[in-house]
Amino acid sequence: MDTLQTSLDGLMIGSTYALIGIGFALVFGIMRRINLAFGACLLFGAALAIYLEPWLGWGVWGLFLVTMVGAALASAYVERLCFAPHTKRTQSMTAMIASFAIWMQLDEISSQMLPQRTHAYHGLEMPTFWLGEISVRGDQLLHFCMALVSIMLLYVLLYKTHLGLLIRATADNPETAYLLGVRVPWLGFIIFLVAGILGGVGAFMILSADGYVTPMFGMWSTFKGLLAMILGGLGSLPGAVIGGLILGVVETHAGATLGAEYRDMVTFGLVFLVLIIRPGGLMGVKIYRTESLAQERI
Amino acid sequence: MDPYLASVLTNMTLIAFLAISAYLVLVVGEVSFGQQAFFGIGAYLTASVTVLADGHVIWALLTAVVGGAAGTLVLGLLTIRLSGLYFAISTLCFAELLRFSLLHIRFTQIIDGRKLGPDGPEGFSNIRWIFDNHYDVTDFLLLSATCLTVLLLLLFGLARSRLMLRARMVGNDPILAQSQGLNPTRYRLGFIALSGAVAGFGGGLFALFNTHIEPAMFGVMLGVHALTYSIIGGLGSPIGPLIGVVLDIGLLESIRQLAAYRMIVFGGLVALFLVFRPEGIISHRLVARLKRQWGSRHV
Repeated sequence: MDTLQTSLDGLMIGSTYALIGIGFALVFGIMRRINLAFGACLLFGAALAIYLEPWLGWGVWGLFLVTMVGAALASAYVERLCFAPHTKRTQSMTAMIASFAIWMQLDEISSQMLPQRTHAYHGLEMPTFWLGEISVRGDQLLHFCMALVSIMLLYVLLYKTHLGLLIRATADNPETAYLLGVRVPWLGFIIFLVAGILGGVGAFMILSADGYVTPMFGMWSTFKGLLAMILGGLGSLPGAVIGGLILGVVETHAGATLGAEYRDMVTFGLVFLVLIIRPGGLMGVKIYRTESLAQERI
Repeated sequence: MDPYLASVLTNMTLIAFLAISAYLVLVVGEVSFGQQAFFGIGAYLTASVTVLADGHVIWALLTAVVGGAAGTLVLGLLTIRLSGLYFAISTLCFAELLRFSLLHIRFTQIIDGRKLGPDGPEGFSNIRWIFDNHYDVTDFLLLSATCLTVLLLLLFGLARSRLMLRARMVGNDPILAQSQGLNPTRYRLGFIALSGAVAGFGGGLFALFNTHIEPAMFGVMLGVHALTYSIIGGLGSPIGPLIGVVLDIGLLESIRQLAAYRMIVFGGLVALFLVFRPEGIISHRLVARLKRQWGSRHV
């Protein structure tokens, strides 16, 4: 029974990791870039929400909205400054370092907006559900459903709309897409916006479940998102979802059996093992294979 | 010399070791987010040898060099199939694993009524080497600056050598290098081990200077900063990482009045700077152009 309960808790937490992981996977799958500033963008959104809360007074949904918009704006800013200027294939490192610099910048701005280190971040008050001996926190269940809905909306965007077609074409082959008239640079901007919105939703879910926000949140969420994406496979969207869920379950189990201090060790160890044994991750084998084929062209 | 200035300069030289170690990995075309862990290993080994085994400082630093090299070699062998971002992320995971293991190392002994040795998250305190040998900050600055200069001179000497040119070829295009009869894996492993040795040495000096070390000091931020220094400085010459360090720590310390807004300005400046000079300050192109001009003046 305990195992089931822990796994369920893990799944609930994992759904939020999945959303952040998708933010990374979108950017990597389409542009082959890693946005290190992603977590800082989410922190910026949360800090902005807390900063504006006394003036707006919109309550929980105000927090949600401002976090989402703030994260999306920050993400778009990162794209313009760090990724749009570095489009050549060989410049992925330069872009990553630039995004690291902006990470520092956004972190500092957010710390300025959060003068006391820990700030309350309100969530919805909801009753806890009991299924026999298994309990589910109401707000976590709501968050899980929100994550599902967001992922479904993303699916609709990518597979049922014209914009989604353009995005998928660019992911397959940016040069060909460009020759066929897709405005690839503009698409990058939109992808960062979408990633920021999804990440903002994820950030709201995590923070309101915890009930507080600290300036460490930026780094924390960057790591969780990166690990979720790698576990599932670099650049694969279903992979990021599954990776996030696995990460959540493994983490809660490790925390429950080995204690909190070994929890992070287990997650890093797991990701390292996956990278060594199956570098493409659990799902992203296609991208890995085409990339390694390109390297072994002789 | 003003002790404050001296300690800032010493810190710069110590971080420069880490930046150079990141640079050595970049030479063979890989990116490592994990050099700080080998810096940490060096620091812990040096501290252990000087404090617990009461060994001479030369042996302590040598252990740090060997330990750092061995650590990176293990990492290099484990990740032999990986490259690019995959390698970068695996170094990150490996480094964090090592750091978390340091959190669980407890090996304290009571020597002369003092509790010494690594004590989990509390770290390793009372590394009294610089007090026992009556080093003040300026002396230590001289020591670490001398070591750094020797290292830089070595790397400059190597810059035109066959070894370095080949390593750079492996870094630019492993397949081309392979078709020229080079073994990219060997160069990669060699330079990765070298980077670990340099990081371990720097970490050893760091432990001696700080007299207290703890796992939290060797977090990812340290390594990514070191990497950023080499990228900003440029890969054209071994002096590049040093310039990055001087720019960052030098600028940071000089405008301390703006402490709160420092990173806001600096982060933005770095990102803007990379837009205009994506290859860093001292790029290969700049080095080549300078050499041409220098040459034509003398011919």
